[in-house]
Amino acid sequence: MGLDILVCIKQVPDPDHFSEVRLDARTGRIVREGIPAIINPLDRNALEEALRAKAKVSGKVTAISMGPPQARKALEEALAVGADRGVLLCDTAFAGADTLATATALFCAVRKLGRFDLIFCGNETVDSGTAQVGPQLSELLDIAQVSGVREVSYTGDNTLEVKRVLEHGYMRVRLKLPALLCVTKDTNQPRLPTVQSIMEVAGKEMITWTATDIGAPREHVGLKGSPTCAVGVYESKSGRRREIMQGSTEEKVRRAVTRLRELGAI
Amino acid sequence: MDFSLSREHEMLRDMVKEFADKELAPRALELDNKREFFWEQVRRSGELGLIGVINSKEYGGTAMGHLARMILIEEISRVYPPMGFFHQTGNLFMYAVETFGSDKQKKKYLPALCKGEKVSAFALTEASGGSDAAGLQTEATGDGDYYVVNGRKMWITGVEPADFVGFVSKTGDKFSVFIVEKGTPGFEVTRREETIGLRSLPVNEFALTNCRLPKENLIGEEGRGLVCALTTIATIGRTGAAGVALGVARGCYEAALKFARERVLYGKPIAGLQAIQFMLADMNVEIEAAKWLCYNTAWQLDQGKTSRDLAVDIARCKLYAVDVANRCAYRAVDIMGAYGLSPEYRVIGLLRDALELGVAAGSQEIMRVTIGATITR
Repeated sequence: MGLDILVCIKQVPDPDHFSEVRLDARTGRIVREGIPAIINPLDRNALEEALRAKAKVSGKVTAISMGPPQARKALEEALAVGADRGVLLCDTAFAGADTLATATALFCAVRKLGRFDLIFCGNETVDSGTAQVGPQLSELLDIAQVSGVREVSYTGDNTLEVKRVLEHGYMRVRLKLPALLCVTKDTNQPRLPTVQSIMEVAGKEMITWTATDIGAPREHVGLKGSPTCAVGVYESKSGRRREIMQGSTEEKVRRAVTRLRELGAI
Repeated sequence: MDFSLSREHEMLRDMVKEFADKELAPRALELDNKREFFWEQVRRSGELGLIGVINSKEYGGTAMGHLARMILIEEISRVYPPMGFFHQTGNLFMYAVETFGSDKQKKKYLPALCKGEKVSAFALTEASGGSDAAGLQTEATGDGDYYVVNGRKMWITGVEPADFVGFVSKTGDKFSVFIVEKGTPGFEVTRREETIGLRSLPVNEFALTNCRLPKENLIGEEGRGLVCALTTIATIGRTGAAGVALGVARGCYEAALKFARERVLYGKPIAGLQAIQFMLADMNVEIEAAKWLCYNTAWQLDQGKTSRDLAVDIARCKLYAVDVANRCAYRAVDIMGAYGLSPEYRVIGLLRDALELGVAAGSQEIMRVTIGATITR
């Protein structure tokens, strides 16, 4: 019996075009119009890990995304590299969601889709970087989760062993399925689609669901269901302060060390 | 009119762009300067399904079509024109076999070529040049179940590494196309030509000396070789050269635009100077115009039109795209100054590649002859 695997993906502005991204001072949101969109880079690692799990243990991979109609493109790209089915949660009721409202929508969709043995997420996204949606989804589903995953081993008997990256080392975690894993960029090298697999996309299943379709209470999704509120946005400025030390080399070093101590840098 | 690409074509473009940027670009300049080709990436191109886009699934291809081929050659040539040109020349033999060859030939040659496990070349040009196809001197004489071939071909891309070479030969007072396989007695690669552009790819001279080829190596019917060769060169060679030119033009434009944004003169980036903006604007407009000429021609081939129906369209896109590549390359060199001329940067290489494209698959003058003769009929 194969694994039922879910991959959560998000369409984000292409980091190569971040210099063109603007923030709406009134709403505190990113203005995405005119910026090319891509699959969040770590979500590609998540997808790759899901495809490897399928190859190793067998099973079916479903890719899910919440977003505007154009997010369908991200799901098509997931199908092109090997996902079997795409699910797009698309409804104005989902707009303006924070991480909890997003996790709630995903939870409702998972409940409708049925049981999953493994759920993969990217550890965080390049546009907001909270790293919260995966863990929140696992809490709502009441399943085990590990974030910061760098390596996944299938030990059989519905058990996984994963390597979790810490600041100064790593932790080995053994866990029972079902489980949710948030993967990092070092986990794998995401594959490219092939011409053949691109041409197979049109024949694969793609589902689009609204909030009503997944039974999501409107007060728990989108802006209404978001406890987070951006109170303001600003552009941070960074720059360098320069000071030139005079004297002999020895004096210059002494003065530089004294100055750095005064500034609390060393 | 709907000018938007299909989702499949969009995804193909994105995939090839990523392949080119991540896997080809890092070594493109080094290989060009060393005159070495990225052979390991041929197998990789086969894995990705890029080599057999015009071949049918039955023979290992993906049958995605001519527009797909144009897009992939363009995206690859933007960063590494020799690999784009590999698709131009490699597809010649594959198209000739698929369109004119026997079922046995298709089964024998096409699957390994589509996978990138084997490579091929296609030869028309001789010492007398390539424009006057009927003036060639290589001759095949029937001898029982064999042909005995004598002659010499020049300026043929990729013969040295080729496992199979298709070539045009006289058979009596007509012409035929044959296949010679690597290692066949009497077939010898006699020289690697010095070329200034597309330097990664070997351009060779080869000799056929009393070379005995079995009759099953004849592509199509005896005496119908010029139709096979000229159809192949127009459908695949000219469109492929146009795709490479389009990629070269874009590579020049992108390099010049990046440089202009970063290069500070008089306290601000030179992109703010109108003299620079005018050059960039001209490049931008001409590339867009060339792109649609090329895409339209490739799309019409996908709709079932033949190179005979599209003789002017094909000539127009090759002529214009190559001219645009040359103009864009000169402008990029102008914008980048000394950096534009340095072999440590890629723009001077792109200019050399653009010059080389002028003579590929029919000179620019031959394109004008084709267009001129038709419109004044």
